[in-house]
Amino acid sequence: MDYAIQQTLNALSFGAEYALIALGLAIVFSIMGLVNFAHGEVVAFGGYSMVITATLLTSNPWIIMIGVMFACVLTAVVLERVAFRTVRGADLTTGLLTAFGVSIVLQNLFLLLGSPRAIAATQFIFLDKTITIGTIRVSSLQIYETLATLVAIVVLTLFLRKTPLGIAMRAAALDFEMVRLCGFRANRVIAGAFAISGLLAGLACIFIMARRGSVQPNMGFDPVLVAFVACVIGGFGSLPGAVLGGFLLGVAEVTMLIILPQSAGGLASAAVFSLVALVLIWRPDGILSPARNKGDKI
Amino acid sequence: MMAYFNPDQRKGLMGSALLSLIILAIVGAYYIWGETYHARILYATFVNLLVVVGLQVFTGNANITGFSHAAFMGIAAYIAAICVTPAAMKLISLPDAPWGLNAFELSALVSATIALVITGLMGLATGLIIVRLSGVGVTITSIALLVIVHSIFLHRTDIFKGNQAFFGIPKIFDLPHITGLVVLAIFVARLFRESSIGLQLRASSDDEAGARSIGVDVRRVRLIAWVMSACFFATAGIAYSFFLGTISARPFYFNFVFLTVAMLILGGLRSVTGAVLGTLLITMGLELVRWLETGPVLIGVKLPQMLGLSGLLLGVVIVAVMAFLPNGIMGHREIEDLLHRKRQKGRKNDVSSYDSQT
Amino acid sequence: MLEINSLNVFHGPIQAVHDIDMIVSEGQCVTLLGPNGAGKTSTLSAITGTARATGSIRLGGDQIAHMSVDDRSRRGLAISPEGRRVFANLSVRENLIMGGALYNSKAQLSAKIEQWFVQFPTLRERSDQLAGTLSGGEQQMLAISRALLSNPRILLLDEPSLGLAPQIVSKIFDIIRDLKAQGTTILLVEQNAVAAVSVSDYVYVLNNGVIYIHGQTDQFGHGSELMNELTGVYV
Repeated sequence: MDYAIQQTLNALSFGAEYALIALGLAIVFSIMGLVNFAHGEVVAFGGYSMVITATLLTSNPWIIMIGVMFACVLTAVVLERVAFRTVRGADLTTGLLTAFGVSIVLQNLFLLLGSPRAIAATQFIFLDKTITIGTIRVSSLQIYETLATLVAIVVLTLFLRKTPLGIAMRAAALDFEMVRLCGFRANRVIAGAFAISGLLAGLACIFIMARRGSVQPNMGFDPVLVAFVACVIGGFGSLPGAVLGGFLLGVAEVTMLIILPQSAGGLASAAVFSLVALVLIWRPDGILSPARNKGDKI
Repeated sequence: MMAYFNPDQRKGLMGSALLSLIILAIVGAYYIWGETYHARILYATFVNLLVVVGLQVFTGNANITGFSHAAFMGIAAYIAAICVTPAAMKLISLPDAPWGLNAFELSALVSATIALVITGLMGLATGLIIVRLSGVGVTITSIALLVIVHSIFLHRTDIFKGNQAFFGIPKIFDLPHITGLVVLAIFVARLFRESSIGLQLRASSDDEAGARSIGVDVRRVRLIAWVMSACFFATAGIAYSFFLGTISARPFYFNFVFLTVAMLILGGLRSVTGAVLGTLLITMGLELVRWLETGPVLIGVKLPQMLGLSGLLLGVVIVAVMAFLPNGIMGHREIEDLLHRKRQKGRKNDVSSYDSQT
Repeated sequence: MLEINSLNVFHGPIQAVHDIDMIVSEGQCVTLLGPNGAGKTSTLSAITGTARATGSIRLGGDQIAHMSVDDRSRRGLAISPEGRRVFANLSVRENLIMGGALYNSKAQLSAKIEQWFVQFPTLRERSDQLAGTLSGGEQQMLAISRALLSNPRILLLDEPSLGLAPQIVSKIFDIIRDLKAQGTTILLVEQNAVAAVSVSDYVYVLNNGVIYIHGQTDQFGHGSELMNELTGVYV
């Protein structure tokens, strides 16, 4: 029983992290049709900002946390303004390759301006303590992570349902041109979407850094890869799909780690990817693929 | 024999011949002026060229980005290497190999054929899945493929040796061999592009529904292109193995994928000339930048060491090309189109200069 | 209110509209008639900014031809587009909120939405339903309300009768007549000449991207001859 609870918590916290990053990808894709390969670098920059803040300002972890959130939002919005605005109307391949170029530029900037080696950034490790609840020993980080993700999802849902900008974003996912015809500023809607993706990335970054304790130039790559896959199996562009995909991947990964013999642990990632391929064969557009009709167009 | 080819393909033959002349000129320049270490760079460039031309066959004509080429290349490289390496060598490098893989050796031709066939079959199997998917789905599945293959390379060290070097491969190929392969690849890619299947594929890339409505079997043409490109990648992998003497899993992963995709989009993914141009430009550019990265002395000034400069510039190139020249330098044009325009400018009154193609 | 001069509209390399002039005065209802493919929707697209065009477009005296889509809408242009284009994944109320982009006060917006619910009780009944589940006529009501929520200087109505049953069409045109009586400036684009003629003050007839006849509505009688000429249908 205890084992079951521990593993469920594992799956939940893995899934929560994937869901956070996947949501950031999904929200941008749903409005702009852009597959933001550079999203991982937003997370990575959050990590680097920890080093910068700690060196220049203070070692207070709470301030650094705010710094991370701020850095991620700023990066996301700036990237949109500088790199993605020119390819705004373009087709999928152009946008994807642009994002991918941006990702390489950023990774190499980290390399050039930072260091090719990992830089220590341990300010969040205090979040990861083993605590005992009854007879179960769990990691406090996993609890924080799961809770924070759930809260984030609730807040995001409220934003999308109750605020005009949020409603405009949901509308834009279906018919961006009509949103502009209603008088909403395209730039504001898109910047808003990127800002939200930055917020989510920042939150994910805090938890990732609590586990890693160090930053290096290519650290954004693995998270964004998993996030992609989560989005694709959930239905690219669908927000509930991103969350579903994230949690499914968390469950799949933990399951693989449990059932595969110790020696084949390295194959967990390959096994998960194979599962993904199978899901795609069954449902090429993802499980909860978003609606594509634009209403009563004759 | 010329009657076998359609008019566009005949144009393609001329264009391929021109490109081949350029390739031969480069090789010739090496033999006359080049230092020994240049051979390696040139060979690597040509391996890249085989891959990028193969990319052009699928990604260029179908306008769907796939990232799995490094996987196919790696599979073929390893199969060819394992088959051709003398058993004595394998007993040292692969002591735990299953299925008696370290107990035999085959000739170069047979090894290459086996590698090509197996990789081609894998291309077929994956292609059957890929062609059913939409744009994003293809990208992600191809990424999945890359990761899975790479994980297997890393995990089954008894066969592949993971990130350690699999050594002892006899050096079978040299510059002449790969030059021949490159020339062949250019001709094949070009003839495919201008063939009716190539045309159907290009039509479906612009307007899938429209193409279907005129009877194009989009899945079939995509599958053909996918398998063909897998064969190109396999050839590149075999050539890689047969020259280097040792291989490891590391190069067959994302960095190589990004590099080759950048080459294709810089030159222009829609044309074979673009593929060649992009590869040559980036390879030369990278060599130059790598030299700068080491912090050389330039006009008497010692430049700092700038690791990451090459990657940075590569990324900037990709972003700039996508923003300002989404179809790359060549766009849709092939090399003979550039000459044709010049000829037309010289002969303003010659109305039939276009008709002479038919 | 709206003045168009030497307008040319392009879809890629193809020119859909050639050098047309049009005027819609304040309080007027002007109709742009024409068969399929005449360039009517292209003209509206040029006005809203969603199609590439050259020429002069003045709204209330101000030149808007160089402005972006969102800026033009914020200047007082509102459209109920071809096919309605209600946001199918949003509720009726949320669709109306989308019409209130320019409101600063939530209370003001709610009050205005209330007014439209009074005008169209059906919308109130369905206020929490997804707009995609509404009938064609209800969607048309929604599209018009959404457009008018922003108190535009001119309402652009693109083929409101398209795909609707005759009873619903007449209902929609009653609504348009009411709007006109309240002083709303309207540019109506239609294929249904009879219905359009019954509500408009002035008619432009567009064919193959060129205006070949225009004048006061009373010149065109009931519109049956026009209808026949345009569509081959005797009404």
